[in-house]
Amino acid sequence: MNKLFLIITIAVLTSCQKSFELYPPDKLSPANAFKTEKDLQLYANSFYNDLPKGNDIVRGDQTSDYLVGSTIDSYLSGSYSADQAGGWSWTTLRNINYFLEQINQAEIPEEAQLHFQGLARFFRAYFYFNKVKQFGNVPWQETTLAIDDPDLYKTQDPRDFVMGKVREDLDFACANIREAIDPTSSNITRQVALAYKSRICLFEGTYRKYHEELKLTASANEWLQEAADAAKRVIDAKKYQLNVESDPTMSFRNLFINEQPKTNEIMLAAVNNASLRVLNDANWYWTSATYGRRLSFTKTFINTFLNADGSRFTDQTSYNKIPFWNEVKNRDLRLQQTIRMGNYQREGQAAPPDFTYTYTGYMPYKFTLDSKKTDGIAENNNSLPLMRYAEVLLNYAEAMAELGNFTDTEWNLTIKPLRERAGVANALMPTAADEYLKQEYFPSISSPSLLEIRRERGNELAMEGFRYDDLMRWKLGGLLLKPYMGLYVPAMNTPYDLNEDGKNDVSFVTATPSNPEKSIVYFVINGTQHYLTEQASGNIIAQNNLKRVFNESFMYLRPIPTNELTLNPNLKQNFGWEAK
Amino acid sequence: MKRKIYLTLLHLLSFTLLIAQENITLSGRVNAEDGTPLPGVSVSVIGSNKRTGTSTDAQGMYHLSVPPGTQLSFSIIGYVTQTIAVTKENTPLDVTLKLGQADLEEVVVVGYGTQKKANLTGAVDQVGKEVFENRPLPSTTRGLQGTIPNLNIRMTDGKPTRTSTYNVRGTTSIGAGGSALVLIDGVPGDPDLLNPNDIESVSVLKDAASAAIYGARGSFGVVLITTKNPSKEQTSITYASGYSRNDQTIRPDLVTEGYPWAKTFNDAFSSWNDYSADPQKANSVFPWSQGYLEELRKRYEAGNTPSVDIDPATGNYIYYGSTDWLKELYADHTPSMEQQLSFTGGGKKTSFYLSGRYNNQGGIFRYNPDKFNQYNIRGKGSIQATDWLRIENDMTYNERGYFTPILNHASNTPVWRRISDEAFPVAMLRNPDGTLTDNASIVFGSFISGNNHWDESRRQARNTTRLFTNFFDNKLTVNGDFTFDKTFFNRTRLYTPVPYSTAPDVFLERGINKMNEQIDNTTYLALNTYAQYTNQFNKHHLSALLGYNYERSKLVRRYMERDNLINPSLPDFSLIDGQNFTLTGGGNEWLTAGGFYRISYDYEGKYLLETNGRLDGSSKFPNGQQWGFFPSLSGGWRLSEEPFWQNGLKNIIGELKLRASYGSLGNGNIDPYQFLETMNVTKSGLVLGGITPNYTSNPGVIPDGLTWEKATTINLGTDFSVINNKLSTTFDWYVRKTTNMFTVGLPLPAIFGTAVPKGNYADLKTYGWELSVTWRDQIKTTKPIHYDLRFTLADSRAFITRFNNPLNLITTYYEGQRVGDIWGFVNDGYFIDEQDIKNHADQSLIRVSAANNPLPGDIKFKDLNQDGIIDQGTKTLGDPGDQTIIGNTSLRYQFGFNANFSWNNFFVNSFFQGVGKRDFMPAADNSLFWGPYNRPYSWHPTYVVDNMWSEENPDTYFPRLRGYTALNANGELTFNQTQYIQNAAYIRLKNITIGYNLPKNLLSKIGVDRVSVYFTGQNLWTWSPMFKHNPNMDPENIERADPELNSDAGQGMAYPILKTYTLGINLTL
Repeated sequence: MNKLFLIITIAVLTSCQKSFELYPPDKLSPANAFKTEKDLQLYANSFYNDLPKGNDIVRGDQTSDYLVGSTIDSYLSGSYSADQAGGWSWTTLRNINYFLEQINQAEIPEEAQLHFQGLARFFRAYFYFNKVKQFGNVPWQETTLAIDDPDLYKTQDPRDFVMGKVREDLDFACANIREAIDPTSSNITRQVALAYKSRICLFEGTYRKYHEELKLTASANEWLQEAADAAKRVIDAKKYQLNVESDPTMSFRNLFINEQPKTNEIMLAAVNNASLRVLNDANWYWTSATYGRRLSFTKTFINTFLNADGSRFTDQTSYNKIPFWNEVKNRDLRLQQTIRMGNYQREGQAAPPDFTYTYTGYMPYKFTLDSKKTDGIAENNNSLPLMRYAEVLLNYAEAMAELGNFTDTEWNLTIKPLRERAGVANALMPTAADEYLKQEYFPSISSPSLLEIRRERGNELAMEGFRYDDLMRWKLGGLLLKPYMGLYVPAMNTPYDLNEDGKNDVSFVTATPSNPEKSIVYFVINGTQHYLTEQASGNIIAQNNLKRVFNESFMYLRPIPTNELTLNPNLKQNFGWEAK
Repeated sequence: MKRKIYLTLLHLLSFTLLIAQENITLSGRVNAEDGTPLPGVSVSVIGSNKRTGTSTDAQGMYHLSVPPGTQLSFSIIGYVTQTIAVTKENTPLDVTLKLGQADLEEVVVVGYGTQKKANLTGAVDQVGKEVFENRPLPSTTRGLQGTIPNLNIRMTDGKPTRTSTYNVRGTTSIGAGGSALVLIDGVPGDPDLLNPNDIESVSVLKDAASAAIYGARGSFGVVLITTKNPSKEQTSITYASGYSRNDQTIRPDLVTEGYPWAKTFNDAFSSWNDYSADPQKANSVFPWSQGYLEELRKRYEAGNTPSVDIDPATGNYIYYGSTDWLKELYADHTPSMEQQLSFTGGGKKTSFYLSGRYNNQGGIFRYNPDKFNQYNIRGKGSIQATDWLRIENDMTYNERGYFTPILNHASNTPVWRRISDEAFPVAMLRNPDGTLTDNASIVFGSFISGNNHWDESRRQARNTTRLFTNFFDNKLTVNGDFTFDKTFFNRTRLYTPVPYSTAPDVFLERGINKMNEQIDNTTYLALNTYAQYTNQFNKHHLSALLGYNYERSKLVRRYMERDNLINPSLPDFSLIDGQNFTLTGGGNEWLTAGGFYRISYDYEGKYLLETNGRLDGSSKFPNGQQWGFFPSLSGGWRLSEEPFWQNGLKNIIGELKLRASYGSLGNGNIDPYQFLETMNVTKSGLVLGGITPNYTSNPGVIPDGLTWEKATTINLGTDFSVINNKLSTTFDWYVRKTTNMFTVGLPLPAIFGTAVPKGNYADLKTYGWELSVTWRDQIKTTKPIHYDLRFTLADSRAFITRFNNPLNLITTYYEGQRVGDIWGFVNDGYFIDEQDIKNHADQSLIRVSAANNPLPGDIKFKDLNQDGIIDQGTKTLGDPGDQTIIGNTSLRYQFGFNANFSWNNFFVNSFFQGVGKRDFMPAADNSLFWGPYNRPYSWHPTYVVDNMWSEENPDTYFPRLRGYTALNANGELTFNQTQYIQNAAYIRLKNITIGYNLPKNLLSKIGVDRVSVYFTGQNLWTWSPMFKHNPNMDPENIERADPELNSDAGQGMAYPILKTYTLGINLTL
């Protein structure tokens, strides 16, 4: 009987001994995650996830007027509706606002407090800028919401109000984020914040100026001035400069193909690193016939690169009828650092444009490495720029030009050094407007300098993810419908040697011959998908069967997803998207 | 020295003679109840250290010489075994055996005790050790599949480590989820670590009434596995050994000839591109051109030509192969074997059982093959310390290890998927100089180069000490047990680059270089104490049980990973020096405690009443919700014991019982810490300041006011037996309502910014039934054939009765939905001509090609809602477009069929298992079904290629060949549609054993008690209506890809199901 007692006693003791409240050993809780500067840094690291990653930059311009690919963005397909809409995610904002609500717990000096608040508010401004870009009016929210908060169901705040808040956040960030220059180009510093401010304010200023339907033109100059001021502060601080190397044909290219970002010019980068295995898929994306979109530049855009002597390529007669191997000679050095041409080699072998995956012949290689090792695998280790000093110069130039304050002084400070780095002689401010640019791209712009600034922006920042936004803010969405023009084909069924190495590379045919030659690529021009401007010869017009639609009256703003309108009836669908 | 031995031997001999002198020479006749003699009855002696026995002859007579006091056992299949003590007086000893009631006399294991089957009021089913016998099994779970109706075990592939949750009675909860609680000797455990041959019985408590004693964890049924107990006063040694050969049940029939494959590839690619573009590469690395295709054709037509050339332009190899990659992948066949040895014995006060097993299964792969190893040791002993106290100790050690080669791919793509993507018949495995080709290096070059593997082991050491006491003449028993368990899991994965070559004297390497290791260490404690009081008051029989249970478990986890092995053949963390490394910890902890009771009462064994219940606490719930009380009630009426039954009816229906039960259980099957505001710390995927730092972010919004999910079951059942109890039947019908399921809240506007907290927002109703019919009889011939048949059948259907889906979206659960319904389009043949396309409803949302230009032979869908456009509407119940419910994925009418025969010394046991109804829609990216309609360069099954539409042959199963239509978004074959729904019902011969017991008279001469030799075949035969159009998939392997590797890698991309041929021997001393 004693033993029976013993058993029962053991049982009762064990049950009382332990409490039922158990906590996970490997997680933080809000009570212990906001105490020290180290804690705040740990949390702030999460903000950086909102910045584009290597792969995003690789695809940055896939929807643009100057790149043609195998498919088009569904947004331009004509069947896009609010049902397919995306981009209405707010998780990043909650993460930032939560941080701002908890930061007071920290027992750290005020300067550090302000620095971290500045970081959070920088990323909030960045977040809202991206929202406004897509949707125009959006609800402004600076606190975290509970499940029963009435603000969940409020309508959009006006663009002017939201962008005003964005500017407040940016100003706070530029005043409080620590100044120290980051030798790794991976952290947001005060200079980086200023550079972003110039980008965001330039966007907003030009957007208001050209989108008269917003009825915000009156405030456009105020934003342009902010853009110019912010950019000027970066220029005046003299902490950054354009990257120039002893080999002028590498000064530009080296900004994009190195693991270690060129920190003299690159202010912020999506850093990739082979030994840390943070990698991008640029080679795979740009050299595969199936993995990427097989994007190539259009000739219309390639024509905008100046001749090396400073003259305009398009000022010569029949500029569209010059064979590829000739037209690429003696041009702005950025051209040969952007597309494959001439004596470009990969692993010791000639690498002419490869018509197994280019449609036009102007095959971009700005982000791809010369080694073929990563052609079929997402293992590129090159860091890609998110913010470079060159953009700050271009932002400054454009803002000043839009303000009407652009003189030789500004030219010499901005466009001239960019052209000089590109080996362009006589980099003087032009006095006459370029008719080609006017005709093909910017018919409503008459200022010679503004046209040159836009040319420069295109040539300098091609593929880096600016083009779509630029077209939107300039109100030039219609350019997205431009025919995709390719290189000049002197004759059909004739093999051509694109890089003048003595070996024929491509033959343009109506159908693959029954006895094909192995080393030649036969590019089929059948008249429907691709055709030639003069039937038996002429420029390729590629992917002509891809239907594209851009409705000027409403497609500058994206639709709010249908189910969000159902969940919150107070949200208003953007104009033009209601019925769809 | 020699003299001593002789002396000893002499001594022994005389001792034996002495005993022999005192033996009684016994003879007698064994009869059935109707007086006919029973031949073949086994007469065995219990209590001697060697089993000496005999069996009756054709006249039912037996002769035997045994010492007085011997216990004799008379047994034969289909009759109740009798045990009789031999005295000088009872010779000749005639015995009459009662027919077939074994079923009702059977003792069934229930929660914290046993009950006679006759007295059961809940829905409980049990199988014995016979389901695991003579059948080499890598795991207990595989052996249990299909044996008990509505114990649903789904083995989704043939991997030896594959395991399954134990589902009882269909859909349980769409919220927290929940499967059955599996207990081994009363303590939760992993059945796959158990030696199947240690199992005495497996019992399943299906309804709430029988499971209520286990409280919250028994909410969706309980599986009780009981291991063998030491035999008393009898010693035996058993040795069993089996050698097997394994083959795949299905080897896909694919096109392996180079040019025919290449032609189809080229066509599939070009058709997707509206016949205006040709492939430039076959997937990622194999160059392609029309010139190459032409060359292939020439060589194919000319016959014997060299298969590798060197391209003069690039200097690279060009391949013209006809490679059967699966033949290269798989070994010709796979051996496996099993060895086991057990000892059992005991005296009056002590007994022991000791068993050990080793089994292994060789790999299916030809290069660096996988290997499965398992070791089990169990030692069980008991001592009757006093007349009221017995102490038992049960100690086990189990280990299972699995080594398998893997691809050099951080995403761990299963090898089959990679083969279907990159191993083209035209490509080849090796270059003329023996190096691997480019394609081989991305397919299974890593198997050939070695040093790319996955090696895991699970080791368990467990000890349970039990005390059994009884007082007041057995009226009160108090039992207790204490278990300590330590389980270690260790998994190492090694990746080193694969060498390959693309041209003579060009040597390249491809792939990642790293190693990682995970170590899990689980410590588990359990304590049970319970007291039972049983008494008979006149015709009232009462039994009451009261107990307490406490369990605590703690998992500690370590994970480490680092890049850059210095030497690939020396995988050790000391010899790795990369900068990219991860080291994480973690784990979890939970505890439960509960008090439980059972009161059962019966009157004259006719009216049965029982209540079970438990007050249960769990650390997994938030404060204030940690405790719950779960009672149940059940009753039975044995009509066949009523006086009015006794005359006429009893002869027809020998036994009839009606049962009913009701109970409601909370669902405690949830993960710990769901109710705490926690912030994860994770390694960033970004390089910030030169490192990849950790980061944390805002915690999720936690729900408040949560309560337990509840499962309420009503069960009605009957047991009856007819025709002299030869046929016995059990039938149960049930409704289980799972209420307050823990599911997503009402959707909030996205500006909320985080996941909507879950809550008790959904209800579910599951209806089902299960039936088992057993027939036992013999066919009378000179040597009778004894046989028994058992057929089981079960079904269930589940309906959603409440769910947060105000828009009634059909893409998630909605109210009134039957779980598993497939929405899809209805096919209307193929387009006939241009006119047909023009006249048909607008089908432009469904893509047939890049530019989406439909042609004759493309699929035509019915415009069900007659709106002139084929679409999915708003994907809501109100507007599903042209979709309708075209099938249901649930497994219906799952059945099992056992047929066992024995004649003379031969026996045949067979077991069929299957599913009566199931719809299966091959998903996008299913290469075995869609072939070139998926990725053009994918596998080309012969069946698909032979059944493609063409103008000459428009009545085919597959439409116009269009690559990517079963892959790309909105491709015509990515939609669910009636034409391609497969009937995935099947019947499979899971097991057949043919054996022979060597004659006893022969064996007794050499001092052996029993020897049987057998042949077993597993999965030898399968039939499924699906094979008509889908002959390349096993009906049990049609689901996701290998889940340990990457479950999203396409259906069927998993370890093949094996069929096994075994020769074995069992020997008992």
